Amino acid sequence: MTVQTINRAGTLLLVVFTLTAPWVLPLFVDSFWVDIYSEILIWSLLAASVNLLFGYVGLLSFGQALYFGMGMYGVAIGIAKLGFGFWGGFGFGVVLATAMAAVAGVLAVRLTWHYFAIITVVFSLIFYFLALSWKPLTGGDDGLPFGMPPLISIGDFELTLTDPDVQYFFIVLMVGACYALMGRIISSPLGRAFVTVRENDLRASLIGLNVYMIRLSAFIVSGFIAGVAGALFALFGRYASANFMFYHVSGEAVVWAIIGGVGTLFGPIVGTSLLIVLREELSHVWAHYPILVGIVVILTVIFAPKGIGGIWTSLVHRFAGANAGKGGDQ
Amino acid sequence: MTVPLLEIDDVTKQFGGLRAVDNTNFTLETGKLHAIIGPNGAGKTTLFNLITGTLPTTSGRIRFLGDDITDEPVHKISQRGLARTLQIKSVFGGLTVRENLWIAARSRYGVFAPFMSWRRCRKSNERADAVCEELGLMPHADQLAANLSYGDVALLEIGLALATQPKLLLLDEPICGMGPAETEKTVAKIQDLSKRIDIVIIEHDIEVVFNIADEITVMANGGVLAKGTPDEIANDPDVRTAYLGDDDDA
Amino acid sequence: MELTIALALNGIVWGLIIALIALGLSIIFGLLDIINIAHGDFFMVGTVLAWFVAETTGNYWLAFLIVPIIGFALGALIEYTVIQPIKNAAALSIVATFGLAIILQESVRATFGATPERMLPPIHDTIPMFGIEYEVYRLFAAAASIAAIGLFFLFLHRSKLGTWMRAVRFDPETATAMGIPARRIYLMTFAIGFAMASLGGVVAAPITTVYFEAGVDILPFCFMAVIIGGLGNLGGTVAAAVLLAFFEGVITSFTDPTFARIGSLCLMSLVLMIRPHGIFAGATR
Repeated sequence: MTVQTINRAGTLLLVVFTLTAPWVLPLFVDSFWVDIYSEILIWSLLAASVNLLFGYVGLLSFGQALYFGMGMYGVAIGIAKLGFGFWGGFGFGVVLATAMAAVAGVLAVRLTWHYFAIITVVFSLIFYFLALSWKPLTGGDDGLPFGMPPLISIGDFELTLTDPDVQYFFIVLMVGACYALMGRIISSPLGRAFVTVRENDLRASLIGLNVYMIRLSAFIVSGFIAGVAGALFALFGRYASANFMFYHVSGEAVVWAIIGGVGTLFGPIVGTSLLIVLREELSHVWAHYPILVGIVVILTVIFAPKGIGGIWTSLVHRFAGANAGKGGDQ
Repeated sequence: MTVPLLEIDDVTKQFGGLRAVDNTNFTLETGKLHAIIGPNGAGKTTLFNLITGTLPTTSGRIRFLGDDITDEPVHKISQRGLARTLQIKSVFGGLTVRENLWIAARSRYGVFAPFMSWRRCRKSNERADAVCEELGLMPHADQLAANLSYGDVALLEIGLALATQPKLLLLDEPICGMGPAETEKTVAKIQDLSKRIDIVIIEHDIEVVFNIADEITVMANGGVLAKGTPDEIANDPDVRTAYLGDDDDA
Repeated sequence: MELTIALALNGIVWGLIIALIALGLSIIFGLLDIINIAHGDFFMVGTVLAWFVAETTGNYWLAFLIVPIIGFALGALIEYTVIQPIKNAAALSIVATFGLAIILQESVRATFGATPERMLPPIHDTIPMFGIEYEVYRLFAAAASIAAIGLFFLFLHRSKLGTWMRAVRFDPETATAMGIPARRIYLMTFAIGFAMASLGGVVAAPITTVYFEAGVDILPFCFMAVIIGGLGNLGGTVAAAVLLAFFEGVITSFTDPTFARIGSLCLMSLVLMIRPHGIFAGATR
């Protein structure tokens, strides 16, 4: 068995599980876990947007909630205020988030290291406060609810997200498309350039790479992904709220990404699953379980900075090495 | 008259009160292996930084093959075919040797191609393999660059520059820190390369410089002290007292 | 007009308290190269400890003595157990301090509770000033902050430890080579940072609400003071804190306070953007 086969098997397992979850999960646990799994998938996209920037380009953003929030508000405002349909609202949210990322990115990626983290938080705080105070448009703290328009409506035939199965598979489809897109980009020349910039930005510019444009494109893609997550979450919860733009949401996404393992495509799903399942299970037992989360975060940073993904990779490599007698085929 | 390879025209670099490069002028022609020598702090590496754009010049112009590149960003200068190695070796440690060379080769065809597979870029793959072969790095092709021996890192450093298909290669102390065997191998490689690429080399090993250089520029205190063939430099009284003399005593 | 004067005065008082807290943030950022997301929570822990001291002893003034000592000890403990081990993963320090913030907030919620508490200032009197009656305790709070800031600068420039701290800040490698115990300096710096933030908490507790999320509100303001004042420029931090709070106070008297906050944040972005890149030497480690 080579590293590649093991990883492919893992991916296949994840895909099969995701596609059969509405039927398989209720066999073992309460059926609300299907909803929780859709929520996990959505949030994992936000963590994936952190991962794309930090794991592949080396920029730690603490402000991804801004693009998530833009996606949310785009959908809610589009449907509730502008009278858009389902796809119009969804598209509006994603476009708004991506445009926001493009504008913010032009300024933010001029900075690196801690300063990049600070400026991304600052940008997200500015729009958080704007969303809080611009009540007529955003509903402020209370949020902006909207009625769900149909997904498809041909004659009598209508599909809406009020049908749980439609909702689940719509989310799976969109999240899957995002991961496919990220996987594609990561294994493209641009993805190679991302990693090159992460490793050594001066050297990257000396071999003729436009480091600024590479960082900016990563920032925009990552904003797009966070925007899709936000748009999906708005559709999932039927509302948008400023609370999701606060920096604690960004911070949580960073935590999920780090614990799942940055620099791996599916690390964010693992991290997000683990922490959300932990939350669901522990919050009944011990109200102060976040203390445990905090400890896990610190221990991960100290002892396993590459997260679960990193541990997985080294285990797989060791296993494959023991089997095949030589290293991976990469 | 042919266009000069590199023109350094009244270039100055000021750091606070210190003039690291002071109104320096010289012109290099194609087809020769140039060496820049001079004591520490003479401004050699700073000059390389100015040429490649990693530092902004305070005043003066730099022209490469007739084009003014003084205020161009680093990556544009590289795209013109001007490559350099760094004195403090720095390669992409988390990538394998082949991946290192691949991205350098790919830089010539543009990396903003988000939807194709990098493993299918035939020209870049071939180029990377060719450089790998040429520098004798094939046995280590799939090793992480961070795990290479010092000498191999130095070779990969040159490889990164070569993979970008440069017209001019600036080497900053390429053999510094190498053992005798590695030095010999690398020097032979540089001589070989100089037959098809213009090379400017900064080197402290005077013996090596006088062996391989066609033309030597001596820098001291941020300016050019002398310029000429190795013979001329060896017999230049100014150089002897200011530089070579010191070196003999050391 | 009276409201404006009151809010402007409140702004200055708050600015001085923020300055005290932000100085701690600035030295931690400057010396340890760590973005301390938990710094606001150090302040919050200070307010809560002050509340506990007042509740158990019935004497608020004791908190001024006890709380900074506890803060110092907690800071030293955290530096030793959390900050030192992550020195090798500097890029992730921000994540670790975020984890620390979660732990501190949740611990306070578990012990102190989730309901915000208000406490009475130990001085109830008011004094006529600029045509309004102003609370004496707030004046005392300003004076206490100024005194603490003054002591800190005195410590930094007159004591051996302070000189060492400045040396390590300037050039850690040379300082270590000269025999300055850098590790101990890092520990002291973090502990002093925590102590200052918790002292800020004691000063502020009677004029704010004591609750477990108080640090979340104050953290952005501290960062604004540090960045706008100029990183490593401690005097600038103090000036920026006071001026920002003053202007936010004045603006708040006319319009929605969040607009004042948005204005400050925009100013902070501007400072971050136009700061020449040279200051970020070593920014790409």
